[in-house]
Amino acid sequence: MSRGVFSKKLKKKVLKNWRKDPKAIDKFKFVHHFLPHPEKRERTKFLSSRAFIVYVCLILLLSGIFRTVPKYFPGILGYASNVDIRGLFASTNSKRLEASLPELRLSDKLSAAAKAKAEHMFAKNYWAHVSPDGEEPWEFILVEGYDYVFAGENLAKNFQTSGGVVNAWEESPTHKANLLSRNYDEVGFAVVNGVLDGYETTLVVQMFGKPREVSGIATKVEEERLLESLSNEANQHFPVQVKQEYTYRSVADVSVVVKATSVVFASFIVALLMLDMWYSKRKSIFKLTGKTMAHILLLLFAIVSIWFVFKPGIVL
Amino acid sequence: MSDELKHVTHYLVLFIGLLVFVFLFSVYSHNKNAKALIGFSFSVFYILWGIIHHALDGRLSKLIILEYVLVGLFVFCLFFVALGL
Repeated sequence: MSRGVFSKKLKKKVLKNWRKDPKAIDKFKFVHHFLPHPEKRERTKFLSSRAFIVYVCLILLLSGIFRTVPKYFPGILGYASNVDIRGLFASTNSKRLEASLPELRLSDKLSAAAKAKAEHMFAKNYWAHVSPDGEEPWEFILVEGYDYVFAGENLAKNFQTSGGVVNAWEESPTHKANLLSRNYDEVGFAVVNGVLDGYETTLVVQMFGKPREVSGIATKVEEERLLESLSNEANQHFPVQVKQEYTYRSVADVSVVVKATSVVFASFIVALLMLDMWYSKRKSIFKLTGKTMAHILLLLFAIVSIWFVFKPGIVL
Repeated sequence: MSDELKHVTHYLVLFIGLLVFVFLFSVYSHNKNAKALIGFSFSVFYILWGIIHHALDGRLSKLIILEYVLVGLFVFCLFFVALGL
């Protein structure tokens, strides 16, 4: 009989009697990839130092794939989004009312400046207040003919809901300062879809201002009309020119793909550690290794953090 | 302090420490750089916990240190992938 080759009958017998004859299972060498060796007194092969080095390399390789693929196949991965201007405006003013501050008026000029800024970020492929060419947010505001005393800008990307965007701004001290500033009377929004760094995403730009001369929206009716027109414009998901015509529709939500990959990987290790702990206890295998229970605890906390706490949305 | 009580105390420190890091992740959930720093500290905390725990137990060896470093590195890499995009 060649090494590791058993007849079906023998295999069945070994599997049936492995509790009575632990040595019999040793013949199945592969089992020690999952179960600790009673004589060598070491962890399973899949939990050895070598295996962890392989896992780390695999994760880095995966990370490289996730970063490289969108550059060559833009738009395959993206972020699902349901952000709308109406929701952003309502949430912003709701936060101000909660802080006993006057509501902001919606400005068509600030909204146009915000839209220009969002399109500029897609066109030049950057994510910052100041563009790589040194263009500042104020320039977009001035181009729209908005003469201001005070002005400010909040940015967000990869968010799923309007409420999520405003909550994230509120949680960040610098963005909150803009959101709840007494210096501003007006606000403008832009929600623009496009491809940034190869990922299909939604950029949100919020611009604040205090005009030198009170102008723009005078009545709630006109404000509602502007809101309607801005919302319709955003809902059209109009293309942003990025070297070529934007026709991408992402196949998968990148945040879900990445989270699922990490969690499945971590769960595999947790399962191996649990198996290791159970088998070692059952067979009274004493090993001079680190604490299995501590490793499991660490990985469970990592899984919880990645799956439940990590959010793709970023504010700037 | 009995061995059992010592172990419970060590694990309690680990549990609370990890809980604090998860809380920090949730506080800075929209700040990528902060999350990367917290993820790094999370792994370093665990490696240090492992080394100190085994040193106090008198069972510290190079192989055990290597094991904690690799597990910590593995977890940091998981965070790195989840954060990097």
